[in-house]
Amino acid sequence: MAAMTQTVNNSGRHKKRTFGEWARSRDGQKVFVMVAFMIIPLVLLFVFTYLPFAEMFGFSFYNMKYTGDRKFVGLKNYIRVFQRSDCFGALKLSLYYMGGSIVQLALSLYLATVLSFKVKGGSVFKGFMFFPYLINGIAIGFIFKFFYTRGFVFDTVLQWCGFSLDNLPYWLKDQSINNISLVGTSVWRYFGQNMVLFIGAIMSVDAELYEAAMLDGAGRFQQFKYIILPSIKTIITLNVILSITGSLSAFEPPYVITDGANGTGTYFVVMHEISHTQQKVGLASAMAIILLMIIFAATILQKVFFKYVFKSAEDEDLNATAKRDKKLAKLAQRKAGR
Amino acid sequence: MKLKKVLALSLAAAMTFSLIGCGSDDGAANDTSAADNTTTEDSTPAADDTAADDTTDTAADDAADDGASTEATGVPTYSQLNVGTDYTDLTASIKWIHHKTDREEDGTIAAMVEAFNQVYPNITVETEGVTDYAEDSLLRLSTGDWGDIMFIPAVDKSDLATYFQPMDSLENMSNEINFADQWEFGGTSYGVPYMANAQGVLYNKAVFEAAGITELPTTPTEFLDCLQKIKDNTDAIPLYTNYAAGWTMGAWDAYLGTVANGDAAYQNQKFVHTANPFDDPGDDTGIYNLYRILYDAVANGLTEDDYTTTDWEGCKAMINNGEIGTMVLGSWAYAQMVEAGEHGDDIGYMPFPITVGGTQYVAAGGDYNFAINVNSSDENKTAAMVFIKWMTEESGWCFNEGGYTVDKNGQNPDMYSAFDGCTVVADQPAVAGEETLLNDMNSESELSFNAGGDAKVQEIVEAAATGSKTFDDLMAEWTQKWNDAQDYLEIEVNN
Repeated sequence: MAAMTQTVNNSGRHKKRTFGEWARSRDGQKVFVMVAFMIIPLVLLFVFTYLPFAEMFGFSFYNMKYTGDRKFVGLKNYIRVFQRSDCFGALKLSLYYMGGSIVQLALSLYLATVLSFKVKGGSVFKGFMFFPYLINGIAIGFIFKFFYTRGFVFDTVLQWCGFSLDNLPYWLKDQSINNISLVGTSVWRYFGQNMVLFIGAIMSVDAELYEAAMLDGAGRFQQFKYIILPSIKTIITLNVILSITGSLSAFEPPYVITDGANGTGTYFVVMHEISHTQQKVGLASAMAIILLMIIFAATILQKVFFKYVFKSAEDEDLNATAKRDKKLAKLAQRKAGR
Repeated sequence: MKLKKVLALSLAAAMTFSLIGCGSDDGAANDTSAADNTTTEDSTPAADDTAADDTTDTAADDAADDGASTEATGVPTYSQLNVGTDYTDLTASIKWIHHKTDREEDGTIAAMVEAFNQVYPNITVETEGVTDYAEDSLLRLSTGDWGDIMFIPAVDKSDLATYFQPMDSLENMSNEINFADQWEFGGTSYGVPYMANAQGVLYNKAVFEAAGITELPTTPTEFLDCLQKIKDNTDAIPLYTNYAAGWTMGAWDAYLGTVANGDAAYQNQKFVHTANPFDDPGDDTGIYNLYRILYDAVANGLTEDDYTTTDWEGCKAMINNGEIGTMVLGSWAYAQMVEAGEHGDDIGYMPFPITVGGTQYVAAGGDYNFAINVNSSDENKTAAMVFIKWMTEESGWCFNEGGYTVDKNGQNPDMYSAFDGCTVVADQPAVAGEETLLNDMNSESELSFNAGGDAKVQEIVEAAATGSKTFDDLMAEWTQKWNDAQDYLEIEVNN
């Protein structure tokens, strides 16, 4: 666009160019190249993202199945989503996944900090911890189904540690802990990936800063707090936002491992059941739109929250100056009093 | 700003694919079909489709009715074909999509196609086994471009003519095959079952003997006593629920009509009009007592220890080795259990233990039905018709799978010997004009009987194991949902 207006300005100064001349000129070529490069990704984006989304948005106003007639029902689907206990009841399960994502981020931030300094066998650890992210989610589901089976892997390992089988809970049957078991699989899968992102960010911190901090007498934790944390806040914000949105839309662990039964049906699993088994496509589309709104809201709230948190972290310096000024003033007072 | 953009894009993408791509966990192939579906759905509006198809359908219907005027459409009806003599020089290339991935892999289907080609050398049959068939086939169906033969997925009967070529009139079909009315609409049959199932209970004869059970149970109470005996006298799991697989729990729905109520018209005609179908009739019959078996078995510890980690593949060998007493599954499962180990002779199949008015009823019905794409060319339709009739009459597939015979002149396997003395009937179809009512009720009430409603049966197991709800509470909930759906759909209710 900028190129276009410039062309117009230029053509005003020189004598008028025909379209052919303009097309052959540098400005024209620039526009052509830009359009040519943009058109493919934009078409792909439109056809495979926005068009289906618009379709689904349209579906949410109909009472329809995959096949057969559709009946326009206006906002009734949305009202029904709010009237049903299972839709929003399922969102409560997201709290488990959010709790899990906090653990996951803390763990990965800790490991990333440790591994970003010189550690023996660091790359091996990084590799092992990143590996689960490379496995297909469905495969992970099957792995953990056997992992949690009574008397199989997990129970055997715990028995080696001295637990007796009779005291161990049923990891997937017991409704008080089965969601935690499922969240565990998701933490196991994603913490390595978060860690690698954090390490990447930490690597970009100038090493001289550590040296300078050490000379000033800063310990490891203070280095982390005052140098590393502020330097990687963007990536932390990104990871937190992705994790929280991910927990709102958790699907694979409950769907593959427990089939969403036994109190583990998350919002997505309920949506899947409604759209595919009960064939209420309109209702499920409305659920999807509502979840989108919730995710938007959650994302905006988090942005606001992080703005506040990191602002105070930057203000630390100002406070420090103020404190130092106070101390100096006190000293001066004492001197004057003496 | 960059962060915001990345986020917005990834969110939008995630949301869009969340709904459309939900079933696509097992491969890129599904993703494409889902995408195809969304993009083509609008370019071929349903209205156009029906208009175009209606003309061919009426023509075909006429042909079916008066039998002789097949030249009009060029496609013979099912009853007009003589397998082995007609159309042996026909050249065509047809594609068949099906759900029997196991038979595709072990070469059974390839062997059958080869045998078919001995008689019809110029008809090429391409086959494709589809995992997750129930969902995938529906998506493909709406694109219209899926091949020539498919197994009919869960479509509304009123839509049959939109998608499928009529096989023949119901009257003619009934002379040729059993269960001809399974996919019937307005007097025309659209499908032929590849095999039929009789609904009973799988059991291990050796376990029953060791437990001291001499006579097969005939009522829910007797059945629960048998399970208790198995628990007391053997190490076997009396009743294996197969809870984790999900669909295996939905298998319980198969007994709710003919078996539990002793009425072949119950499931498709009376059920939707019944005000309180889940009440206890007090005589060990009815839907109430059918599911009571499951609830009581779980509550009394007569099922496996940890139901959430049951393993469908593993259970086959377990029942074969005598580690499982009984499993509630259709007859199609019999052959797999026999093949799963060395003790195939121990596997038995008995009628479901509910006796209505002194008679034990057995519901038999077609499995998935072959059907022909209405949009295929006439040559392909003819070739498909020939193939389907050959599969039904000559391939022996139904017999080999342990199925109840589809072909009127076919033979039944030995496993059905315990069914002597029982009344074997097929569920009657819905009355004219109410064909879609059961589907609508299933969808509206979200109980989905015999239509993937596994979750509600799993809930029985959960409630019984945790004691969170009594069985009467559960049935009251179902009644509530059922009645609400009846209200919503304005269905006439009889008490």
